[in-house]
Amino acid sequence: MTKPKVAICWLGGCGGCDEAVVDINEVLLRVAAAVDLVLWPVALDYKYESVKAMKKDEIVLSVVNGHVRNSEQQEIAELLREKSQLVLAFGACACLGGTPGLANLATKQDIFDWVYRDAPTVVNPNGHYPQAVSRVNGKELTLPELHGRVYALDDVIDVDYYLPGCPPPAYSIMYALSAVLENKLPPKGSTLAPHRALCDSCKRNQSKPDRMSIREIKRIHEVEADPDACFLTQGIICLGPATRDGCGEACMNINMPCRGCFGPVEGVEDGGAKFISTMASILDAESNEEVAGIIDQFIDPVGYLYRFSLPAAMLQKRRARNRVDTKEV
Amino acid sequence: MSEYKPKLVCFSCKFSWGYLTDEETISSTTENWVPVICTGKIDATHMLDAFRSGADGVLILGCPEGDCHYQDGNYEAKKRVHLIRRLLESVGIEGERIRIELSLDPEGTRIPDLVEEMRNELARLGPPKSILAAEEAPQETARARGGK
Ligand code: SF4
Ligand code: SF4
Repeated sequence: MTKPKVAICWLGGCGGCDEAVVDINEVLLRVAAAVDLVLWPVALDYKYESVKAMKKDEIVLSVVNGHVRNSEQQEIAELLREKSQLVLAFGACACLGGTPGLANLATKQDIFDWVYRDAPTVVNPNGHYPQAVSRVNGKELTLPELHGRVYALDDVIDVDYYLPGCPPPAYSIMYALSAVLENKLPPKGSTLAPHRALCDSCKRNQSKPDRMSIREIKRIHEVEADPDACFLTQGIICLGPATRDGCGEACMNINMPCRGCFGPVEGVEDGGAKFISTMASILDAESNEEVAGIIDQFIDPVGYLYRFSLPAAMLQKRRARNRVDTKEV
Repeated sequence: MSEYKPKLVCFSCKFSWGYLTDEETISSTTENWVPVICTGKIDATHMLDAFRSGADGVLILGCPEGDCHYQDGNYEAKKRVHLIRRLLESVGIEGERIRIELSLDPEGTRIPDLVEEMRNELARLGPPKSILAAEEAPQETARARGGK
């Protein structure tokens, strides 16, 4: 019997997701024996050309990490989609845009100006900026074109399954791989992680009083957090109530609040909005001034609420409006 | 740009706003009016969804302070509005694009007036300018441009 073909590929990733695959240790050897790895740029020397030569759906599973920010990443995503039966969005970047998605708070022009002109370490007297196409000695040279913003993988191609995390923990990778190899997959579109919120499994949950209330917001580096008490009761923002469980509580265990890398819980589109509703309910203040006073202590809300998910946030998806719609009303 | 007509979504609580007037009458004068059973039912998701769908502003009309039929729905809504404001401001959208008014108006006659008043304020502000990077780029696919 021929072995199923599997591809592992990074787009705009940091390498952490590929490292996480390596971290399944000797299980990786068993996986490597059971499948035919046809592409894994970070570890093996295969060429995109050989993938291009494959038939449609010849690859059983493509594991894709990283966001899509340029034309090359988009091209590879589209190529793998065409050649694969299943595409797994692997890690927060592929699922939701990830931390690089915070770059959407600046325009492409801002980013180019900073990187090639304004940053203090830049020496660029002739003001050269990278060009997608340039001519040198009569030859045409090309570079991938940077897109206007960061996209999650499913903004660009159809995705069959999602494995969240930054990066996904080893046991969830093994679970996902065996589900594919043993054909025990949940319905298409599923996220391969528990449906409930992190709070449901968090040990600190028992420390919560019956009625939670906070009167000030503190940042984790400003206080010595009690390692056993719920962060929210200490006034420290913890995204646990709005974040999917399944991370293995790596952050909790080192006394860091949840920052949301597993994305929203099942059925919730925008984890930031969900958290806002939760947070509103525990704010203990009456007058507008009091409420505003506490909320003013919430530094960098967009960074906190969408650290891993800005490209997938509702505010990012604001429908472009035709400015000439004045006749409509 | 002087022709710019802002879009507004108005949620109002059925227990204090317009319950003596039939809904069709109010709807006919007020576009995008959404009567709800309690302002406490308006989740932050609904508020953001209005902006995503193209609203330039959101107006929420709830029961007077301390007078919520369900105890504290209006109070919860008020706190959500404050938080959403802070979020909007952090992406460069003016906080005053979302407002909550806690008061009583059984006939609902003030609903169109309040909507008109806020619409005028929004017209002064012009269209929202979010700092979230624009989507246009020549090589992007139609799928990427249209979102999910
Ligand atoms: S999800 Fe995290 S670990 Fe994976 S590529 Fe993105 S930033 Fe790196
Ligand atoms: S809010 Fe954070 S610390 Fe508190 S129970 Fe939930 S996950 Fe644990």
